[in-house]
Amino acid sequence: MRASDKAGEALLAVTDLSAGYGGMPVLRDVSLEVRHGEILALVGSNGAGKTTLLRALSRMIASDGGIRFAGRDLAPMTPDEVFGAGLVQVPEGRQLFDRMTVEDNLLMGAYRRADQASVRGDLERMYALFPRLGERRRQLAGSMSGGEQQMCAMARGLMAKPQLLMIDEMSLGLAPVIVEQLMEVLATIRTEGVTVLLVEQDIHLALSGADRGYVMETGAIVHGGDAKALIDDPAVRKAYLGL
Amino acid sequence: MKGLWLLLILLALVALAALPWYGSDVLVQFGISTLLLAVLAQGWNIIGGYTGYASFGNSVFYGLGAYGVAIAMVQWNLPFGVGMVFGVVLAVVFAFLLGLPVLRLRGHYFAIATLALAQVMAAIVSNIPLAGQNIGLVLPPLNNDRLFYELSLALLVLATLTVFWLTRSKFGFGLIAIRENEEGAAVMGVNTTLYKVMAFALSGIFTALAGGIHAYWITFLDPESAFDISLNVKMIIMAVFGGPGTVLGPVVGAFVLSAVSEVLSSEVTSIAGLFFGIVVVAAVVLMPRGVADVIRRFRTSGWRYFAENIKAHRL
Repeated sequence: MRASDKAGEALLAVTDLSAGYGGMPVLRDVSLEVRHGEILALVGSNGAGKTTLLRALSRMIASDGGIRFAGRDLAPMTPDEVFGAGLVQVPEGRQLFDRMTVEDNLLMGAYRRADQASVRGDLERMYALFPRLGERRRQLAGSMSGGEQQMCAMARGLMAKPQLLMIDEMSLGLAPVIVEQLMEVLATIRTEGVTVLLVEQDIHLALSGADRGYVMETGAIVHGGDAKALIDDPAVRKAYLGL
Repeated sequence: MKGLWLLLILLALVALAALPWYGSDVLVQFGISTLLLAVLAQGWNIIGGYTGYASFGNSVFYGLGAYGVAIAMVQWNLPFGVGMVFGVVLAVVFAFLLGLPVLRLRGHYFAIATLALAQVMAAIVSNIPLAGQNIGLVLPPLNNDRLFYELSLALLVLATLTVFWLTRSKFGFGLIAIRENEEGAAVMGVNTTLYKVMAFALSGIFTALAGGIHAYWITFLDPESAFDISLNVKMIIMAVFGGPGTVLGPVVGAFVLSAVSEVLSSEVTSIAGLFFGIVVVAAVVLMPRGVADVIRRFRTSGWRYFAENIKAHRL
């Protein structure tokens, strides 16, 4: 079945997920779904629990509740198994291998892939998608600008051939013109069958580039639906956009 | 260029292997202890150099390997080879039991947590009758330095080939990723806990084998000399001097520093330790990334290389 045939069906379904750190609850009964081939925005202010939710989904922290991804139950899996299942995270702060070259960083993304023969071709595809990385493939990742590092982190994630790419705070600290480029890249990879979960503090940016969105507040989802409708929703506008 | 390097290494290896036939007895004895130190430095290189975890617990592996051989040969009358296997089993069990909790700590915390391990093991072993308590064990003597020399050399070659394989393998790539950014490695699907424990165990296997050979060679073993923290410091200094995270660096470091230490202690005896300290301090200031990095970069930056390192220290 091609990706387009499944459009609209749930790729990731989260039901009543609760999680926290050392007995301190952060997430309360979060339920959401990510559909095949969409760009989903998860927005909310600082401390709303967005990153905690991503960490629970990739099983870096323990949680209660159901997580079904592409027909499999993720709850009992370890982080490397989740990664192997095709749920890949581009973490906040990028977490690049600073003293390794751009190319080695990308190869690290393909680390667990069985089809090592096609890795070369995928590298070239990444360099076509992010020409700047192609120019700097021999440069140490830590010596690049913030925008280039974010490109490197996204390319590294894509090298894993994810079904769902979860990007945490993509726009943080970047110039608007770079953010615009990155949003265009998201639109491109979506046409290639990669579903995107975009976690952002910049609510307007995320919702204007997404198909659907969820708004989080103090560990719970308070609004959800079509992204355009959310931007026009008076409650969201008042609370988050200062309009 | 690559062929030339390979030829040089092979020639050096042949010269080393033939040493017992042309060298003096003293030289062969010096050779055995140097080769064993090089194995220790190479073993430390796996966990400290490639994985980035500065272990002070490696001397425990050494002690376990030594006691494995001693207990098997003295108490159970088993052959040397069985004792070596027993020592390796002890080391691997220790690596897993201790690695699982301790390898969760990072940086200085990990170093401090492992610092006390050797002391603890010495105290424990001092109270085990099977291990001869604090009196120690005397092994059956085998006056065959040539055999011990060749065994040590073979072990060093095996350890170095293993490290070379690491640099080419997915496992080794994963370890380097952990060293460079553990969080990033975990996000990229590396099972970091498993990898770190495996690296710790692999490091322990070679260290234990060196300890076993040393025990049989010296024929005497007590808790203080088996679990000696200064030995751990020595392997770190040698690995760091040569170049941690490189294939041949720790071996070069062990050879050079053993030779320097030997010459100093025969020439100036009483203050040899002081001189050795000065050599180490000078090395850390002038070439913090080891001999391997000097060789790589000297061609392009020349003598400026040392000046740049001094500046980087803000001296």
